[in-house]
Amino acid sequence: MGKATVIPFGPQHPVLPEPLHLDLVVEDETVVDCIPQIGFVHRGLEKLVETRDYNQFIYVAERICGICAMGHSLGYAETVESLMNVEVPKRAQYLRVIWHELSRIHSHLLWLGLAADAFGFESMFMHCWRLRERVLDIFEKTTGGRVILSVVSVGGVVRDMDSATLQWICEVLDGIKDEYSKIMKTLLTDYSIKNRTVGVGFISKEEAVNLSIVGPFARASNVNYDARLFGRGAYGDLSDFQPILDAQGDCYARVKVRCLEVLQSIDIIKELSAKIPEGDIAVKVKGNPEAGAQASNVLEQPRGECYYYARGNGSKYLERMRMRTPTSQNLAGMTVALKGCDLADVNMIILTIDPCISCTER
Amino acid sequence: MEFKQSFEELAAQDVHAEAQRRKDSGWRYVQILAVNLDNGVDVIYSYMLDGNLQNLVVKDMPRDGQLESIGDIFLESFVCENEIHDLFGISFTGMPIDFHGKFYRLSCDKPMTIISPEQLARREKEAKAKAVAAAKKEKDAQNASDADMEAKLAAMDPEKAAKVRAAMEAKRAKAAQKEAE
Repeated sequence: MGKATVIPFGPQHPVLPEPLHLDLVVEDETVVDCIPQIGFVHRGLEKLVETRDYNQFIYVAERICGICAMGHSLGYAETVESLMNVEVPKRAQYLRVIWHELSRIHSHLLWLGLAADAFGFESMFMHCWRLRERVLDIFEKTTGGRVILSVVSVGGVVRDMDSATLQWICEVLDGIKDEYSKIMKTLLTDYSIKNRTVGVGFISKEEAVNLSIVGPFARASNVNYDARLFGRGAYGDLSDFQPILDAQGDCYARVKVRCLEVLQSIDIIKELSAKIPEGDIAVKVKGNPEAGAQASNVLEQPRGECYYYARGNGSKYLERMRMRTPTSQNLAGMTVALKGCDLADVNMIILTIDPCISCTER
Repeated sequence: MEFKQSFEELAAQDVHAEAQRRKDSGWRYVQILAVNLDNGVDVIYSYMLDGNLQNLVVKDMPRDGQLESIGDIFLESFVCENEIHDLFGISFTGMPIDFHGKFYRLSCDKPMTIISPEQLARREKEAKAKAVAAAKKEKDAQNASDADMEAKLAAMDPEKAAKVRAAMEAKRAKAAQKEAE
């Protein structure tokens, strides 16, 4: 065994879209230990809750992350609604889930493109991002925004969709599905991709449970946990929802789970578009959260379970708002997955975990 | 699987033992957060089992207080523990990965414990408004009871009503004198 050397990885690295630093302790070409470091983009967004009232803060919440914008505004709104005992109309619940699942598709396609680029498969990167553009077109037509949607409010949503628009969304998704199936087939059967991912960065089910890993990272290790299983909102009206699982626990399994989740999200949107009830899209929320009242909530973001906490103080400003993101939960799992791997596989393992540092630091 | 949430109190000295108990009985670590309040800092530990999200609240921790780290039981807690240390000043003993206050690059110490002048002014204004509203409510209630009493006195024997009026006046004068003192 060679002498231990510490190799700094990031925060600026071609494979990292966001600043994450790792101190990799290597012996020869093998990583024997890893210490992650974040803290380069902490913006103190939670502190802003003191100067933005509970209706205004929704716009701060969705700016936590450009990829999970819809999820954060939804998670925040649900938590404040739970704090104030607000019942959201059924139609608004359906619209929220449709936008949230579209956001999952765009997040996964963005990730697949980045992963393909890291494999050295640049044409695949272009195809994934081209398909993602069509999801952004749906956002633009239905909300007016492509990244920051500002469509969720405390008590419902601010925009409705007519049946012709819902029909159009289903048609666009059918087109995406056809093209995406070909891309997915290549991603999952290509020899070079398999060579880089199969058996790399293995995490067993026991490790995933012990390290409280969440999201596709956990589901690729056969952990049957997805916050959508709680059936809240429109998820409860789905005819059948089962999380996508894989027992292999390696980088390939993580790619596969995300690939299949795109198809699952398309099916969810199509089913809800067909079932969406008529009615109001929002209720008027009166009053302020009571002093000392507190509520917690979990939401399945594209990267996994996100925890939200809100506490009122009797005024229109919240006393505290807190988000614990999936990446925060997965960092420890990432260090375990990296131990024992080849130095050349580090970028692949990090990418398949899909860390979102902006979310984590807020 | 149904989602349920609850908040329960937890003593500061039981944090580590409770984490071990949760781990042994299959609970999943969810997060740790801190809330800066007038009396100190509340630290909340969350665990989940089968959709049951339990938040255990360690109340009124002194600022710059200390808790035992649960990192030896749940390694993934190092992110939240380091974050709380940097933002709120609560330290955790025995952290497996300790950044010694350098987890976040911050321009000031413990930023989440600073009450901004705007927030302080707003809190004072709200407290004042609340006191004015309470005083008005009390006065309205007093006026209503005075009106009721007048109606009763009008229906009474005039001699008896005069005695009651004199007694009420004396009581009011006594209360005013007491308040002035």
